[in-house]
Amino acid sequence: MTELPVIHHRGQLVDARLHLLDRQLLDDEDSPAGIVDDLVLSGVELDKDIPEGTEAPQLTSLLSGHVVATRIFGGGPPRSRLQGIPRSLVDSIHVVVKLKPTDMVFDAGWMERWLCDRVIKHIPGGRHAAE
Amino acid sequence: MLLSKLLGLRVIDAGQHPVGTVIDVRLTIAGDPEHNPPTPSVLGLVISPRTRSSFLGYERSDADAPVILAALLRWRHRGTFVAAWEDVARVGSDLVRLRPGYTRFSPVLRDVD
Repeated sequence: MTELPVIHHRGQLVDARLHLLDRQLLDDEDSPAGIVDDLVLSGVELDKDIPEGTEAPQLTSLLSGHVVATRIFGGGPPRSRLQGIPRSLVDSIHVVVKLKPTDMVFDAGWMERWLCDRVIKHIPGGRHAAE
Repeated sequence: MLLSKLLGLRVIDAGQHPVGTVIDVRLTIAGDPEHNPPTPSVLGLVISPRTRSSFLGYERSDADAPVILAALLRWRHRGTFVAAWEDVARVGSDLVRLRPGYTRFSPVLRDVD
């Protein structure tokens, strides 16, 4: 492994799967906004030869959505079930991915709300759980 | 293109010989990832000749602890390399083809330049 040459590059290296997939997304108030479930790369055309000298693809957006079922049972959710978050909204990439202030509405808490409305509040004392 | 469509694709060389599987996509960010990072661009594909996935990325770091786990995972992922994007000739729906005379680069993550 160490005998291989080092690829020439500028800047910081990030491996998409290792450093981005499954990372927590936080909004500008540090509230959970979702999980990075997939990434969109521009400039890659399937089943077409890539001419030499073509510019490298770029990361244009992060995708977040509901992927629990497909992770358990296999396959992947349709693209329409994933929410696209433009790359320009990313404020920092670290242990978590933090977003800049935005008007975009994130529906990360729907599962908790659904469980709260359908299950928890029917349990005696469940209406006061948050207290 | 979605990253998930790229991960797991078989990789062949110009002579149609199998060289491995795409286990990750290496990006480069011309700035600080922790402070308003500019648009990341693809530097290359991380290709493993033996596995279809990666676990904890030991083969891409100098981490050597815990010793047994590091040794085991390095052995499991031996032969992993990075193919520069310039060496990618075609991305198909079921495989990736590299250009003739492509270079195998080290998969170890180093921030240089």
